[in-house]
Amino acid sequence: MSENRINNNEQLALDDGRRVKVLSPGMMVFKRFIRNKLAIAGIIILTFMFVFSFLGGVISPYRQDQVFYKTDSANKEYASAVVNNEYRFFTPDGAQLSTLVRANFSRVVKDAGEDDVAFEADGASWNVHRLGENFYAIGTAKELGSVTMLGKIVDVKAKPGEEISDAVKDAALKAVQGGSLQFEADGQSYMLTKGKAKSYTLGTMSEAGVASLLNFNAFSGEDDALVSGYGFRRAAELALRSGEQTFEADGEAYRLDSDGDDSAVIYRANSDEAMASVSNVIVSPMTTGATLEMDYKAAVAEAISQKQMAFEYVNAAGETEKHTIRMRGNNYIIYTEQQTYLIDMYAAPSMAHPLGTDDHGMDVLTRLMYGGRISLMVGFGISGYFGGWVDTLLMRFVDLFNSIPYYPMMIIAGAIMDAFEVPPYTRIFLLMAIMGIMGWTGVARVVRGQILSLREQDFMVATEATGVRVSRRIFRHLVPNVMPLLIVQATMGLGSIILTEATLSFLGLGIKYPLASWGSIINAASNIYVMTNFWYIWIPAGVLIVLTVLGFNFVGDGLRDAFDPKMKR
Amino acid sequence: MSSTYENVVEVRNLCKYFPIRAGLFGRVVGQVHAVEDVSFSIKRGTTMGLVGESGCGKTTVGKTLLNLTPKTSGEVVFNGDTHLDQLKGRALRDFRPKIQLIFQDPYSSLSPRLPVGEIIGEAVREHHLVPENEFDAYVSRIMKACGLHDYQKDRYPHEFSGGQRQRICIARAIALNPDFIVCDEPVSALDVSIQAQIINLLEDLQKQFNLTYLFISHDLSVVQHISDTVGVMYLGNMVEFASKDEIFANPLHPYTQALFSAIPIPDPTVKMNRIILEGSIPSPANPPSGCKFHTRCRKCRGVCSQKVPRTLDMGNGHTVACHIYDPESGYGKE
Repeated sequence: MSENRINNNEQLALDDGRRVKVLSPGMMVFKRFIRNKLAIAGIIILTFMFVFSFLGGVISPYRQDQVFYKTDSANKEYASAVVNNEYRFFTPDGAQLSTLVRANFSRVVKDAGEDDVAFEADGASWNVHRLGENFYAIGTAKELGSVTMLGKIVDVKAKPGEEISDAVKDAALKAVQGGSLQFEADGQSYMLTKGKAKSYTLGTMSEAGVASLLNFNAFSGEDDALVSGYGFRRAAELALRSGEQTFEADGEAYRLDSDGDDSAVIYRANSDEAMASVSNVIVSPMTTGATLEMDYKAAVAEAISQKQMAFEYVNAAGETEKHTIRMRGNNYIIYTEQQTYLIDMYAAPSMAHPLGTDDHGMDVLTRLMYGGRISLMVGFGISGYFGGWVDTLLMRFVDLFNSIPYYPMMIIAGAIMDAFEVPPYTRIFLLMAIMGIMGWTGVARVVRGQILSLREQDFMVATEATGVRVSRRIFRHLVPNVMPLLIVQATMGLGSIILTEATLSFLGLGIKYPLASWGSIINAASNIYVMTNFWYIWIPAGVLIVLTVLGFNFVGDGLRDAFDPKMKR
Repeated sequence: MSSTYENVVEVRNLCKYFPIRAGLFGRVVGQVHAVEDVSFSIKRGTTMGLVGESGCGKTTVGKTLLNLTPKTSGEVVFNGDTHLDQLKGRALRDFRPKIQLIFQDPYSSLSPRLPVGEIIGEAVREHHLVPENEFDAYVSRIMKACGLHDYQKDRYPHEFSGGQRQRICIARAIALNPDFIVCDEPVSALDVSIQAQIINLLEDLQKQFNLTYLFISHDLSVVQHISDTVGVMYLGNMVEFASKDEIFANPLHPYTQALFSAIPIPDPTVKMNRIILEGSIPSPANPPSGCKFHTRCRKCRGVCSQKVPRTLDMGNGHTVACHIYDPESGYGKE
């Protein structure tokens, strides 16, 4: 209004008071505030924090509780292998070889060499007939007679009470002349056992099973029963031992691809798909419950038979794995550079995780963003509570609250919330409420002090003397004069509440995992190893807390100065 | 509004004791006898000076008069019929503009967060003394009357000097069109050249608005200049009251004599004959027996410490509370 009255043509003296521009009080406060460099720094810091926390959480590609994994190679014991030297027995359906028979077989077969041997067990006479290297047929024998060779004359004599047909005799003759000790005639197996000089004992042979050192593995589960069946085993191994490429079992034709040395792969005749592998090496996984691929087993067997100490294996995913073999006793242990899935703990800063990951494999930067959200929210939630600021009548109540120790109270409250398993989000609001209830007393006390001192000031007496009504006295005179103090208290209080929240979270009583707050992030530093080795986990959170609290304090100071008209313009 | 009653304010046997509280429950352990048995009246359009040492209760008289602190006993009557302590709430607030107060300290008496125009006009608006459309002009007129420029309306108190601030305080009081203003040492915080301006302003305003002042001061020269009647207080008691001319020409009470002997005479050739008072003012919480001044009085006799002196009318409106002038007191006869 006063400006309006200044006539532009009027010459004002240099020291005329009208030259001084008059600003509205609000503008003056604003102007004074923006002249305060520290306050502006504070505003910038706080703006950054808000953008960082509330916008950052949206922008960040990760969730705050997203766990990251990494793959790492570790030289782990992967499998063990052993060269089989225990005979395994395969019998036709239903038949069983007794333990005594098996033991006797193992005993006699050691010295057998190329020969067929016999032993007595379970009241029967057993014949062990060598079918091939480390491959024997075992059966019960019944003596029928003897075959004696005199020059070119072969004489077949029957035991008393037994009869030997001519067909059998002929077959026996041929067998002896051909150097074979086993022959078939009339659908019955016969065998010759070498006796004294050039005589043989002739007997029937009923085969009870075969004994083998080889290990057959079917590639598909459907073939398991077939592969471990007596008929298939006998036919397959016989073919392998005799160097044949094909064999028949149970009326089906198979193809055998052997590279010698006790190992082979079996195909169905009409298929190129491997059906089973044969090896004298037993490969088993080191971890229980795991299964090894057939190809892998074959590769191990191959390497062992080649006496290689390292081999490469292309796995199902097409990746090449490197394996090394070490002897341990009679066993071979296969180590592998295994690609394992690990939680990416304490990852160093990288492009994907600019501040690395924490002990739970979560992105530190993202957690800082979300954590700031909670820290700032807790702060402002409580400042909102301070809305009812004047409460001088409740000073005794204040005393009551002040006499409750703050931290033990908070710790108990935290423990109670633990006990009731309060969900993390509810917990935040409860925490704000409790901190508000516990924290308003300090501000109330300071404000009351200020009001008491203002009430005695002459200008308050003057308002009474001029008959200004009470509400006006409070809101026009008291409040504006308490305001700066209140603002400073509130902003500094905000800072200290963020610190309190950090303290509580640090102690594990505040914001609970997996929700993040700056305090709970710093909590990582309670581990000396983390503190010294993984700076990028806790230093940023600490810096953010310090900056935020500083920012609040700067802004608080700036506001106080701006509200104070006694300050320079 | 203006009453035609001759005495704007009459004070009869005003007492104000402040309780001394101690202990956990604020038990009253004693009383500070700030004002004891004070009586006077002020005629319309005149100024009464109230003088005395620091702590003698001058300011308390002023504040009790305005019911800013409730009195302990006695009577304060405005315009012959208004007892402030009997008014409540709205009635009290409505009467407030009639009686105003100017403070000693021009710095603490203005709210630092309100512009000057608002400080001056707030109560005017509150009491609807002028129509809303005349408000600005009214405030400007008052400011001009008090020697302020109207463009200073939007300034804050801290932008003003002490003298200007005191003008603002005066403007705030004058704006309410009061009958009576208590000036509580209005110039003691100002330097001498400004003091003269403020005194002159007060005198001008008195003529202009037919104001009545209670001028509280310890500066006797100022009191001598502005007052029509003068009351002298010592330790809560009014020891002497007379017209200005009478009291300065013929001070009767030994305390008044001692006080007046301290008025500096602006003439270096005149030898001042000062009466030096021994000791300091006693505690009003534990005042001396008898005449309260007896501990420091040159003319003290035995009776002084035993009997409380009566207030004697020495004629011509001159009253004094001293045994010397009381033939029945037995002063000087023992």
